[in-house]
Amino acid sequence: MKVVMAVIRREYLQRVRNKWFVFGTVAGPLFMIAIFAIPIALELRDEARDRVIVIMDRTDALYEGVASRLGETIDVERVEFTEGAEALLDSRIESGEISGFLVLDENTLSEGRAVFRGRETPSTLRRVWVRRAVVESALEVRLGEASGAAGARLLLEGGEVDFQTLDGEGADEADRDAALIIGFAGAFMLYMTLLIYGIQVMRAVLEEKTTRIVEIIISVVRPGQLMLGKILGVGAVGLTQLGIWVLSGALLSTFGLPYLLALRPELLELGNALEFLPQAGALGLFLVFFVLGYFLFSSLYAAAAAMCSSDEEAQQTQVPVTILLIVPMMVLAPIIENPHGPLGTWLSMVPFFSPILMFPRYMAGAPLWQVATSLFLMVITIAGVAWVAGRIYRVGILMQGKRPTLPEIVRWVREA
Amino acid sequence: MSDLFPSHSPASDSAVLLEGVTKQFGSHLAVSNLDLEIPRGSIYGLLGPNGSGKTTTLRMIMGILRPDRGRVTLLGGDSGGPARLRVGYLPEERGVYKKMKVIGHLEFLGEIRGMTRAIARQRAMTWLERLGLAEWAAKKVEDLSKGMQQKVQFIGTVLHDPEFLILDEPFSGLDPINQDVLEEIVRDFHARGTTILFSTHLMEQAERLCGSVCLISKAEKVLDGNLREIKRRERSGAVAVDYEGDDAWLDGLGADTIERTQHGVRVLLRDGEDPQALLQAAVSAGVKSRGFEIVEPTHHEVDVRHVGEEAAAEAGVPSGYKSMGGAA
Repeated sequence: MKVVMAVIRREYLQRVRNKWFVFGTVAGPLFMIAIFAIPIALELRDEARDRVIVIMDRTDALYEGVASRLGETIDVERVEFTEGAEALLDSRIESGEISGFLVLDENTLSEGRAVFRGRETPSTLRRVWVRRAVVESALEVRLGEASGAAGARLLLEGGEVDFQTLDGEGADEADRDAALIIGFAGAFMLYMTLLIYGIQVMRAVLEEKTTRIVEIIISVVRPGQLMLGKILGVGAVGLTQLGIWVLSGALLSTFGLPYLLALRPELLELGNALEFLPQAGALGLFLVFFVLGYFLFSSLYAAAAAMCSSDEEAQQTQVPVTILLIVPMMVLAPIIENPHGPLGTWLSMVPFFSPILMFPRYMAGAPLWQVATSLFLMVITIAGVAWVAGRIYRVGILMQGKRPTLPEIVRWVREA
Repeated sequence: MSDLFPSHSPASDSAVLLEGVTKQFGSHLAVSNLDLEIPRGSIYGLLGPNGSGKTTTLRMIMGILRPDRGRVTLLGGDSGGPARLRVGYLPEERGVYKKMKVIGHLEFLGEIRGMTRAIARQRAMTWLERLGLAEWAAKKVEDLSKGMQQKVQFIGTVLHDPEFLILDEPFSGLDPINQDVLEEIVRDFHARGTTILFSTHLMEQAERLCGSVCLISKAEKVLDGNLREIKRRERSGAVAVDYEGDDAWLDGLGADTIERTQHGVRVLLRDGEDPQALLQAAVSAGVKSRGFEIVEPTHHEVDVRHVGEEAAAEAGVPSGYKSMGGAA
């Protein structure tokens, strides 16, 4: 076991220390965070400069509405209209005490027009906030004249349509959509990660074979241990990368998003994205499918690499393995459309297709016994595949030259 | 290490014992019914032309391949068992992890043989200093010249201070300087009691280094034993004749090979042929004979007698001799 640990450690450190791994893993989320963080940082800087906005309401009807709408993000102060008030406010702007003042008058009520005066034009965001606050307040007042102000406010907040189904369950369509989207995104991520890390195992095996270092290693380490060590080492790299991404995503949505929403309430839509984040159960199942799928496919890729003596050969040999990953991707769309039809039910039970197809079906509410059966079948298949792949690997890594024919591979498996 | 694995196994005085070992790949018989015993502390040569089964034999000793039939005992234990941690094995096709740092590569090789990283590192540094590579320790292996990479490969083989060194064609592909370095290391280990087994297709190398040899050809053992004894046993064979005159008398001699030397010929007689008959043949043909000497056969000639001219030629004719053709 100590030997396997040494192999895992070497494989893991070699990859994790690689500058492309660091770049891909760290720069990815950092880039995403930067996209959010830079505007926020800019806003914060503006915030320090943009102080109080003074509101001069000549209609006596709009101030409450505008102030409550702006109040969350901008400090407001009310000033009565008097002769000379504007000159006084100009001087307060000059001194930097306030950032500007907003004049609301009859035009505001009738056409939604208002005047803002400041030392400089406010940021785009502030302009949007102010305009929306003014227009919504005007609308509220005008609607309130016709019916009650309370009713008008509800309408302004957007309303709600309750979707009900015949079976009376009142299924929450939003939830279901979210589940389907998570299912689809999860299937896609599983496809990508299984492919990427499977190919990495293939390259790792091929590298040892083509540099001939492998003979030195297996003069001390049993081939099965070496193969296991390589698979676990590369797998640990994959989990590290996924872990960093999931963690930074979680941090971003838990801390970054509310902060962002506080600063930019008009981005409220983003808040809805939170419901698209998978729950712990789905996340756990995703990991299980990744781990099982990874063992299955990395064994196949390792065996494929062991048969080859060059990159070109490996490119051809891996095709059948990769097809096993592509087939479920090709039927993914129809299966998500109709998750529990015969196509979806049967194909998702095929162990090689389960990782990619059963996860979205679980999200779409597949019966748990089906999920459990697919997991069970995968474990059995992994045992069988690992046994065969291990034998191919043991013989193949010492063979140079011509790629073996199918009968030769069968002989390897029988005689190894 | 040495506490875990007693350095001398009372069960066996031989470093390697092969009993009736056979290995077949498909229809190709690689090693056939091979018996071999390598005494501890010896320098043993496994000799034979390319494709005669040397590498397969070494791989079976290291437990990399399992024999189809027969038994392999390594340092008194099963081949493929913990005994192989005490062996330093340098395969013919030897590689390095090109992307690793030199020191990391060596640490890993030590680690998989059960050393702690710290000790492996320390030993690696000592060896790197000894071979003048200390300042390359933190460089990537791929940045080293081929000769330096070869040195790193030796260090990887001897890092754990093995009690048994197995070197497969160790000198092939080495530059002359590294050939000397390796030879010195091998002699050094031998002086400290390490058993050394190396394979070669070059007789001259075996003659220079080995106490004992095993000669194999076409998967089968031809002969084995102490090199000096083999030569004595084969003594009857070779005659050197210096002469002037026509070469016609050489036709019809009972010889395995006839080679041209500077002043005459060197004749390897067939088993049972009398050197005196050869002298008579020369005299009766009327050539002017200036010297007649019964000599120790070279290894090449021993080879020819046992594996045939063709296989021996593959193995390289010792310099200074030109074959005049096969047996007449």
